[in-house]
Amino acid sequence: MVLYDSATLGGSCSGSSSSSSSSKPPPLQQRQQTQQDIDGLLAGAGYRVRSSELRKVAQRLERLETAMVNSPADLSQLASDTIHYNPSDLASWVDSLLSEFIQPPTCPSEFIMDPETNQTVVSDAWTTAEPHMPQVHQNISYEQQSLNNQLTVDNQLTVVTAMEEDSGIRLVHMLMTCAECVQRGDFSLATSCLEDMQGLLTRVNTVCGIGKVAGHFIDALSRRIFQGIGGGSINGGSAYENEILYHHFYEACPYLKFAHFTANQAILEAFDGHDCVHVVDFNLMHGLQWPALIQALALRPGGPPLLRLTGIGPPSPDGRDSLREIGLRLAELARSVNVRFAFRGVAASRLEDVKPWMLQVNPKESVAVNSIMQLHRLLGSDLNRNSPIETVLSWIRSLNPKIMTVVEQEANHNQPGFLDRFTEALHYYSTMFDSLEACTVQPNKALAEIYIQREIANVVSCEGSARVERHEPLCKWRTRLSGAGFRPLHLGSNAYKQASMLLTLFSAEGYSVEENDGCLTLGWHSRPLIAASAWQAVSDGTVDFPA
Amino acid sequence: MVVPLNTWVLISSFKLAYNLLRRPDGTFNRHLAEFLDRKVPANLNPVDGVFSFDVLIDRATGLLCRIYRPATAEEPAPNIVELEKPVVGDVVPVIIFFHGGSFAHSSANSAIYDTLCRRLVGICKAVVVSVNYRRAPENRYPCAYDDGWTAFKWVNSRSWLQSRKDSKVHIYLAGDSSGGNIAHHVAARAVESGIDVLGNILLNPMFGGQERTESEKRLDGKYFVTLRDRDWYWRAFLPEGENRDHRACNPFGPNGRSLEGIKFPKSLVVVAGLDLIQDWQLAYVEGLRKAGKEVKLLYMEQATIGFYLLPNNNHFHTVMDEISEFVSSDC
Repeated sequence: MVLYDSATLGGSCSGSSSSSSSSKPPPLQQRQQTQQDIDGLLAGAGYRVRSSELRKVAQRLERLETAMVNSPADLSQLASDTIHYNPSDLASWVDSLLSEFIQPPTCPSEFIMDPETNQTVVSDAWTTAEPHMPQVHQNISYEQQSLNNQLTVDNQLTVVTAMEEDSGIRLVHMLMTCAECVQRGDFSLATSCLEDMQGLLTRVNTVCGIGKVAGHFIDALSRRIFQGIGGGSINGGSAYENEILYHHFYEACPYLKFAHFTANQAILEAFDGHDCVHVVDFNLMHGLQWPALIQALALRPGGPPLLRLTGIGPPSPDGRDSLREIGLRLAELARSVNVRFAFRGVAASRLEDVKPWMLQVNPKESVAVNSIMQLHRLLGSDLNRNSPIETVLSWIRSLNPKIMTVVEQEANHNQPGFLDRFTEALHYYSTMFDSLEACTVQPNKALAEIYIQREIANVVSCEGSARVERHEPLCKWRTRLSGAGFRPLHLGSNAYKQASMLLTLFSAEGYSVEENDGCLTLGWHSRPLIAASAWQAVSDGTVDFPA
Repeated sequence: MVVPLNTWVLISSFKLAYNLLRRPDGTFNRHLAEFLDRKVPANLNPVDGVFSFDVLIDRATGLLCRIYRPATAEEPAPNIVELEKPVVGDVVPVIIFFHGGSFAHSSANSAIYDTLCRRLVGICKAVVVSVNYRRAPENRYPCAYDDGWTAFKWVNSRSWLQSRKDSKVHIYLAGDSSGGNIAHHVAARAVESGIDVLGNILLNPMFGGQERTESEKRLDGKYFVTLRDRDWYWRAFLPEGENRDHRACNPFGPNGRSLEGIKFPKSLVVVAGLDLIQDWQLAYVEGLRKAGKEVKLLYMEQATIGFYLLPNNNHFHTVMDEISEFVSSDC
């Protein structure tokens, strides 16, 4: 039996900065609202409510109860059709439900405030038509709670080990030791660790479980020690190779499919009512995401818009224009479903080389910017100039997109300390490999593993500009994107439901979708591995267009 | 009756959400339930002296448990290989916890239960194992009990959980609402199989029966809970066609099995005075007594359901003290 421990990285509700796994958790980080007023006990239960708003929320809950009791038909509609958003924000959630109801005739004295005792007394002045419906007799004591629960979600670690295999555990132990040596610069000890591990590998099952993922980490360490941190031949795979591996990763497990259909759902909703729409895809690959969107647009009530797609991708070395080829195929599909479609390819080796004028955004268009696991590549900083991420986020904002969909690995692989990064990666990729066990189709699985292996190698054995896999968790992206002038567009219960349902169609048991403060994550058992979010530029009254 | 405002808001929100999830035809809006449930991840970084990690203990059913351990002072977050470091102590209680939710709601990683389990670690100096059992209506009786049994056997067979004194795992079973019901049934199965359970801790355990008791009639709808929703949950959990006198629901009822002669553990049963099913809970206590089993009843007159979820009332602190005493009296 495999011992499987899972945890998740980064903050879910606290927004606390991810610190190194060995230090104490940092204090609760301030959010944009006034943090001090948040009820600490409810926060511990996962709800953010201001203490000053508690009474109002209580009153609204009472009103909602009354409304539901009075019109059960509305209740069932509320239950089935309403889309719910961001349940942690209790006040908003209750308000949104209340607004679904036609206001009932106001009951004479729902709440009577006794000014002297500061207690509220709920009156039973209303009675209902249904005789068996009970009346509510409840007194609410207004007590201020000052307990301050500290939220816990900081760096957490993921582990997969083979329970029966002591060798497996020893292997992991040695990996950690080796990584520590590398961090300290003790390469001779690291090398002898490597040798020991190679030896242990022969005694461990490397077909699955800890043996398999350990093998990849041993390779990555080996590269780092012997080839240095320049990346060597890791990123040397051609664009063509990368596309093949990506495609098999797409087929073998649901992470990319989840990314695509969650983003598409959000884009579809954002484009509602717009006739000229323009999607900018930061990494076209084979354009796997777009047929579904094209078909959904074809079917939308009122007819499809004019759809422009700008696909960004690396230049093709051999004279082929692979971007254009993908564009042609998508155009054919669009034609077959009567969607007016135009495609443009933008070839760039790096996202930061793209300039907004290349995208030729028309002021009359509604723009969607789609980034599937691309933004983290911009986090390598050259301290001499503007960080690429800031530059790119700034021009995205200048396009004033209707929506920006962002999917990123839910991992903290951009920590400065090598050992911390190594440890997190070990956990994250162990979980990912474990989830891959559920896939039995070849060669999808084998090639998907190579795809993942390349990521591991980049995280572990590269530094500086060569290290592009700089994954950061959702809480960090939230901070970063909010700071860059974006506000979240919450993904609701309909997106959640769709994602869950599609997962059961495509994948094995064990994958789970979770709601996280308006975003959705997909993970293996209780460990989120990939996070999807949607954003909109905060309006500052001006509209800038690239020169 | 006075309830702190934040407690009222919390329980009322649950009530509201649950009303939206239960469909009249007996089906359950699971997607919406999972969407609305506030969950927290496990955390290897100790917080207030407790760290946690998740374990898949049965791949076939996907049975997960969340394990909570006390952190050794001054030590950094445990390493991968240290998660299952042997417990240190002559006697280390291990509490297997079953969360509530009337068999249909919540999970081991629900925020409210994560908080409760962490507290149990502290007050009992115990390792807590929270079981993510399969829920109704998708998984009816006996799935939850089977999962409880699987978790029990797993815990009992972990060498790293053994107390030094006798190289055995010192197991307590605990749960609230449906979790309390599961704890009872798993305890019964354990002792029948010859494995010792040191004690049962039942918080507002979920029991019932065909008859309508006085408390059910008197308190129906008064304090967040209605008879109608209780009926719905039993119909969702019990095998189709069975009524509430089924053994699972009514262990000392007409279809119950006698506990006489079997080594059933001592029980701490907490009953909230404003819980409409208290007559069934009191009947359970009576049933244990009649069978000669040791049981301590804590009747919290002014308490509503869920009072143990937030540490803002006297009942909460009383109960926590009693639980601590119940477990430590064996150490």
